[in-house]
Amino acid sequence: MSKKLLTITSVLLIAVFLLAACKPAATPTEEATMPVEPTSMPDEPTMAPTMAPGEPTTEPPMDKTTITIWNQWDGKYLEAIEAAFKDYEAAHPNVVIDLSKPEDVKSALTVAIPAGEGPDIIGWANDAIGEQALIGNIVALSDYGITSEFLSSTYEPAAVNGVTWMGSIWGLPETQEGIALIYNKDLVTEEYLPTDPLDFEGLLASATKFKEDTGNPLICNQGFGANDAYHMSPIYFGFGVPAYVDEEGKGYMDTPEAIAAAEWLKKLSAVSFAENSYDICNAALAEGKVGMWWTGPWAVAGIEESGVNLGILPFGRPFVGIKTLLLTTNAVTRGNTDIAIDVMKYFTSAEVQKKLSLVNKTIPAATAALQDPEVAALTAVVGFGAALNLGVPMSPSPFSSAQWDPVGNASAAVWTGAQEPAVAMADAQSAIEEKVAGMK
Amino acid sequence: MNGWLGRRKWITIILFLLPTIIAILVFNVYPILLNTYISFTNRNKFRPNPNCDVALTGLLDPLCWPSFRENAPKGLGSPYVLQDPILGNYDTLMGKLFTPEALLALLFVVLVFSPIIAANYFSKKQERKIHKKIPSGTIWLFGLLTAVALFFVLNIPRSINELMATGDFLTVVFRTILFVALRVPLTFLIGLILALILNSDNLPGKTFFRVVLFIPWGASSVAILMALVWQFLFRQQGTINQIISLFGGTGPIWLNNPVLAFGVIVLADIWFSYPFFMVSILGALQSIPKELYEAAEVDGADWWTQLSRITLPLIRPAVLPAAVLTSITAFQMFGTAFAITNGGPVRGAGVPGATEFVMVYAFKQIFQQQNYGTATAFAVLIFILLFLATLYSLRVTRMTKGAYE
Repeated sequence: MSKKLLTITSVLLIAVFLLAACKPAATPTEEATMPVEPTSMPDEPTMAPTMAPGEPTTEPPMDKTTITIWNQWDGKYLEAIEAAFKDYEAAHPNVVIDLSKPEDVKSALTVAIPAGEGPDIIGWANDAIGEQALIGNIVALSDYGITSEFLSSTYEPAAVNGVTWMGSIWGLPETQEGIALIYNKDLVTEEYLPTDPLDFEGLLASATKFKEDTGNPLICNQGFGANDAYHMSPIYFGFGVPAYVDEEGKGYMDTPEAIAAAEWLKKLSAVSFAENSYDICNAALAEGKVGMWWTGPWAVAGIEESGVNLGILPFGRPFVGIKTLLLTTNAVTRGNTDIAIDVMKYFTSAEVQKKLSLVNKTIPAATAALQDPEVAALTAVVGFGAALNLGVPMSPSPFSSAQWDPVGNASAAVWTGAQEPAVAMADAQSAIEEKVAGMK
Repeated sequence: MNGWLGRRKWITIILFLLPTIIAILVFNVYPILLNTYISFTNRNKFRPNPNCDVALTGLLDPLCWPSFRENAPKGLGSPYVLQDPILGNYDTLMGKLFTPEALLALLFVVLVFSPIIAANYFSKKQERKIHKKIPSGTIWLFGLLTAVALFFVLNIPRSINELMATGDFLTVVFRTILFVALRVPLTFLIGLILALILNSDNLPGKTFFRVVLFIPWGASSVAILMALVWQFLFRQQGTINQIISLFGGTGPIWLNNPVLAFGVIVLADIWFSYPFFMVSILGALQSIPKELYEAAEVDGADWWTQLSRITLPLIRPAVLPAAVLTSITAFQMFGTAFAITNGGPVRGAGVPGATEFVMVYAFKQIFQQQNYGTATAFAVLIFILLFLATLYSLRVTRMTKGAYE
């Protein structure tokens, strides 16, 4: 009798083991979604405080909709942005907004979307549009009632271009970004400032003179010597290169303009730091060891904090990047599109962007906010606005992803002297062509 | 009534084994299969999604499985298909290796090592002789000299350059092998010296030193952070250059120079890994009976003879497997190089940077460029290499088994 019991127990035990072991085999989600869990974990803490003001005393109603926004806002930016979303929650008690910031958005999306998890809205730069649309993680807003009339009447033309791809609208523009020369007024006097924003020889002469006079370099740029085509953009485009890669996939790095730009870069490297990074430039500008920092609006708050008497000088033709809010397929499958689009419209509206601009010194994409007298008077908006007017909009085409590595590496090789400008540019061109061929 | 026989026995055994077998299939075999399959496709940024109607894709790609199929993103991109020709990705990585010039260059490189292998063989043969022994030192010296002579006669640097031009694969692998060849022996040497010091009987504060010297091994749990400290030391404005400027000199820009940057990575990684060797050797040293040294002293053996005739042969069984395993981990080194140089310094567009080791290269291909096809083909090649190395390491481990018997 006891023997039989033993057999039954052992069979049951085996069955338990089997079931436990089979589980991952039947639903390999376990394995696939694993990386997402830690990234979505931090939602909870941010959710709790955001929920609290939304529903002060009433018991939670059952039909609350949670809109998850994955974003890349950090540090001081985030405080003002969180406040803006809290206002929205206060006005719409049935909506909970959950902000989270996965470490690697791209990889996290790859596993989250097929599993039906992840965001309704992604806050991302517009150059991600093409790639994400090809995968199918994001959906075209034009299918959900956003018209180009609405877009062009609300936002700046560059921003409208930046979210339109293949005849569809893929996102709502939040802010515009581009880089300009932020200089220390106490160190860099009028004599060193070029008057024409495209006078590269003049800037080089100033840099040489500044180095002779003070022993310090004039310009710091985190892209100097690094694989960073974005921070190199004012130079190449300023010399007349129309784009690194255009929408058809044609590269422009072997043009005489590109080679001239690379040669200028080589000359500038002789009077600059050999190594540059965000932190090096930030510290050097704060300590007065460098005159100018070629950077974007995101750095302004930090520079002001360090007490530098700053001025902003537009120079070259920088890339104009558009920070956008994109709608994911999740929002569609969850039936959240209406609320999600309402949240997107709210956040990119002139009213909210004006508030954010005044605190965060960002350049709004909404026309009404940009023309607001209070915003228009900000130093950052004046300086960067002029740079953006000179700039080249970043293309949402996925071909643009072929540009970053070749241009960045070639520029770094020119900067360190590993390659001569003409050779480096020729290599960059063939690397771009190879990549584009792989995509076609 | 005895149920423990025949078929029932086997069913029970299989039922008990099944969970493990399934786990191995799911977590080991399946990823390898999927990776190998992808390496034959043209999957990349523009062809990100599977076409589930293709039988193998439908079976292997998770997005085609019933639980994900519904939610799987359907974008504007076309689905990935098998490469045409099927070995296309492998061809881009190392296709040019199979030209007569490149093969000749490869042959030259192998030839340079042949005198050393021959020396190893002959010296072993001579050791077994009783009469008319040629001292093994002479044979080794002869072998080494021939190797050096061959190096110049065959113009090996040119052959290496030719091989490097055949594609990213050999460039990256060669550089990684060079890294391993520098790092492992140096780590062993430092570990041995420190272990010998720590093992001496009249060292005051032995425990203290043992703990302090072991710190880098613990610090590898915060490896990225420590690597950033190393990066800071070797920056243009970093600590080393500031010390140099105190003495009136100007330090080099370490991380922009391919050779120096390589050296910095080797140095940093040695710092991370010498404690492993130190502790394994220390353990082995303590298991050597003291009587052997006493007997040697009675026979008048000096320190060097004791080291080379007693210590080294007796720690060999412990150290050799450790060395092989360290070589394999060193081959897969990622964190230190990625944090300090990010694979740089850059040598231009379209070529791997000067410290872009195999794992850094694979990471960049997948996560920064989304070249899934090429990256998985690269991974398959590396897998084959490491698999062979592991088989060899098993042989080495078995080889040392009889040492104490």
